[in-house]
Amino acid sequence: MTRTRSTLRTAVAVAASALALALAACGSPADAGPSMQVWVLQDKALNPVQQKVTDTYNAGKPSVRAAVQPFANDPYKQKLQTAIGSPNAPDVFLNWGGGNLNTYVKAGNVTDLTAALDANPAFKNSFLPSVLDGGKINGRYYGVPMAGVQPVILFFNKDVLAKAGVTAPPATWAAMLAAIDRLKAAGVIPIALAGSQAWTELMWLEYLLERVGGPQVFADIEAGKPGAWSHPAVLTALTMIRDLVDRGAFGTSFGSVGQDSGGADALLAKGKAGMLLMGSWEYAGQLSTAPEFVQNGRLGWAPFPAVEGGKGDAKAVVGNPSNFFSVSAKSAHGPHAISYIEKTVTSPDYVSGLIKIGQVPAVAGLSAQLASGPNASYTTFVYDMVKDAPSFTQSWDQALDPATAQKMLTNLQQVFNKQISPQQFVTAMGT
Amino acid sequence: MAREPRSGRPGLVWAVPALVYFAALALFPMILVVGLSFCSWNGLGDPQWIGLGNWRKLASDPQLGSSLWLSLETGVVTWLVQTAICLPLGVWSAGRQRSRAVVSTMFFVPLLMSSAAIALVFSALLDPNFGLAGLLGPWLGVDDGNFIGSPGLAIWAVMFVITWQFVPFHTLLYQAATRQIPVVLYEAATLDGAGRWRQFFSITVPQLRNSIVTSSVLMLVGSLTYFDIVLLLTSGGPGTATRTLPLHMYLTGFSSFDMGLGSALATLLLIAGTALSLLVVRVTGFRRMASVREGL
Amino acid sequence: MRRLNLPGGTAAALWLVVVAVPLYYVIGSSLRTQADYLDAGPLAPPSDPVLSNYGTVFASGFGHYLLNNVLVTVAVVAMTLGLAMPAAYAIVRSRSRLVSAGFSVMLMGLAIPAQAAIIPVYLIITRLHLYDTLAAIVLPSVAFGLPMAILVLSSTLRDIPAELYEAMTVDGAGPPRVFTSLVLPLTRPGLITAGIYTALGAWNGFLFPLVLTQSDSQRTLTLGLWNFQGQHGIDVPATMAAVVLSLLPLLGAYLAGRRHLLSGLTAGFGK
Repeated sequence: MTRTRSTLRTAVAVAASALALALAACGSPADAGPSMQVWVLQDKALNPVQQKVTDTYNAGKPSVRAAVQPFANDPYKQKLQTAIGSPNAPDVFLNWGGGNLNTYVKAGNVTDLTAALDANPAFKNSFLPSVLDGGKINGRYYGVPMAGVQPVILFFNKDVLAKAGVTAPPATWAAMLAAIDRLKAAGVIPIALAGSQAWTELMWLEYLLERVGGPQVFADIEAGKPGAWSHPAVLTALTMIRDLVDRGAFGTSFGSVGQDSGGADALLAKGKAGMLLMGSWEYAGQLSTAPEFVQNGRLGWAPFPAVEGGKGDAKAVVGNPSNFFSVSAKSAHGPHAISYIEKTVTSPDYVSGLIKIGQVPAVAGLSAQLASGPNASYTTFVYDMVKDAPSFTQSWDQALDPATAQKMLTNLQQVFNKQISPQQFVTAMGT
Repeated sequence: MAREPRSGRPGLVWAVPALVYFAALALFPMILVVGLSFCSWNGLGDPQWIGLGNWRKLASDPQLGSSLWLSLETGVVTWLVQTAICLPLGVWSAGRQRSRAVVSTMFFVPLLMSSAAIALVFSALLDPNFGLAGLLGPWLGVDDGNFIGSPGLAIWAVMFVITWQFVPFHTLLYQAATRQIPVVLYEAATLDGAGRWRQFFSITVPQLRNSIVTSSVLMLVGSLTYFDIVLLLTSGGPGTATRTLPLHMYLTGFSSFDMGLGSALATLLLIAGTALSLLVVRVTGFRRMASVREGL
Repeated sequence: MRRLNLPGGTAAALWLVVVAVPLYYVIGSSLRTQADYLDAGPLAPPSDPVLSNYGTVFASGFGHYLLNNVLVTVAVVAMTLGLAMPAAYAIVRSRSRLVSAGFSVMLMGLAIPAQAAIIPVYLIITRLHLYDTLAAIVLPSVAFGLPMAILVLSSTLRDIPAELYEAMTVDGAGPPRVFTSLVLPLTRPGLITAGIYTALGAWNGFLFPLVLTQSDSQRTLTLGLWNFQGQHGIDVPATMAAVVLSLLPLLGAYLAGRRHLLSGLTAGFGK
């Protein structure tokens, strides 16, 4: 086998190097200087901000300079998976915290930042606690928030709700059910749902489980505790979902609606649906595809309703707490990497840069700054929601290992489509 | 090689680059995939040998049977439907009339479109609220236009899009073959008083026998590759209603990062592909063609 | 053919609708605003055509994806033909058993879907440190395109009469001269056919770019199309404009050289 492989390598290498010459112009820059690699996601708005603070950092003439490398979103995890254990590992890398980060922590690829954070309490305390916890694995910190918070929010079309006689967004589950019935009677789809993409359906389960059972139920699931899926709250939440489907809360054709293709957004903006449960990025999305809908003040937002008798706090949120910076264990510049993070992600330039591009940083004491920025009423709402949240549960598809996440999404979609019962979901996930 | 100048025939060395290249980047991976099916690998680090673990998992994978069935179903249904469409269409478009040439030009446009483009177009068309699905649905007995979101209908929507994509190619095959049918056959039949239908079934179809076989085999082989369209249109959903075998392999390997189990599934694809390849070589006689021609 | 063909004509008319409606939809909606599209329905004609969607598409990096696609396609075609041509010559003219055995093995690869080998290909590409480069797309695309190209080329080569080879050999020409002055000129149609077939496959390739690249700078058109859809602020009309733009180069080639292109597509199967 070894022999075959080395022959193969030679053969391929010859062909590859010939080709590499031809394609040299478009190869990725692999410039290895006395610098550390900072891997971030490609983001036309955010990257310039990151570059700016990095330039400032480098201008301080550190012994190891930092170089920012942006990568496209979807396959970034795959890229990280292949690179992180290899000699090509980045020094600082962006991740989503939670289970995603845990994969690398378990493989021994991530530096424990707890001591560094404890040694710098001013830095540690500058983050919103519920968000900072997203970088915590088994009580130790491995990641530090470096982007805006993205809680899941209940969006609504004010006109549609008003026309159906729903005067305020539902604050309780009973009010939610009543609103659904009224909207249905008014001839609109009560809630837009992009059911062809299961992650949009997952948001309902995440919030309902949080409200019904509190954050510990999912924490146990995430930790892989035996029988965690069998917690009665899971069944209750799924049954509530099933009830929504049976009531026609999502209409009948939600399974064909796509989020990526803008199908659900358009339903809300065009007044064909009353509400939409979506990540906080929905605002920016609507602003770009249906600007008049947002600017005329017809887009409304509210926290997910409280569930009467549930164990969860009505202020708890779910979604993407933030993106995190972690330091690779293989990094040859560990202390420099940590210092880079400390000097950039809470710097005034970075924070104001985030606000300018419409993000809500996970940094404490920003109320005044947000109130004077663009889209103030929305960003203030998002900020307060996260600031006051006792817990911020990460999106399950990010928090769980990829195989379990896949299985869960498939099964959940089948619950929404009434192919399996809530009990069957629990049974399937328990095995 | 010393014989080369005397015989004037090229030696092995002429074929070596292609053979080595193919061996390294096509053949070797195909062998490696069988090896990887005995390993555990999540894309991180190096694959670990675990013996039969993946194959045991596969044996108890409830999705496997349904994926196999879906692949078989799409393969057979699209084969029958496409043949029923392509055969008359190919014969028709073989006519030399100007109008037919113009219309045929239009027929072949989908050939130029990538699966990604086709999937984007149809996912927009199949949107029940803003696409065509909502308008056409009631005519087809689906009032809310819920095609790709309905567990029962999604696979049919996928098969329709696959048919849309591949009909032009097979029509082209039949068109080319029809044009090679000697005109004298029809002239003789007309003299004998045979009508259109009889001519079609007693001359055209038998004369196209080889093309029917070729096209059928290509369609069946192609059904192993129905992957991109499905991924982009439904991602295998709703639930697992359209999770065909190649898609199941892809999602297992690259979404669940269970590359070992994915390799075991890929090995199944490999076996099916090899079997069908042998069939292609057999029925189309690519190999035979060589010897026959050289004997001439 | 020479008379009216009613059943065929009916089938053709029906299929014409099935093909024309989506194509009309693509072009029509690419010229409409998002608001018009959502309000007036999918098939309404663009009452007030706009080109802004095309602007949006170009602003999203389309030109760059196009360039990547051209680079990949040119590299794949050049490498495939460069490897396949001498091999086809050897297969037709050589008496070596190894060559013929090698060809048999390659033919087996004809129907094996690339998906079956994608996991090991991914492993190999990452180990060669080629992950997320255009080379990562090119290398396996060539390998999986070789069998078809060799098949097409060898069947063209067989049409060269044996006397021509013999005449050259009598003149003392060795294989290199036979190759350059006899084989290459006489197999031009086959080269064009195989080139078109290979080019179309590379241009529209999806699996290799999907699995083997990730960054925006290495993105090809097919993947770019998919990505457009997920981007905030890209709506259906803009997506359709991207589809039109991705199709345009091929459509131009199709209208210019329809016969070549169509014969290229049925390469090897037409006989």
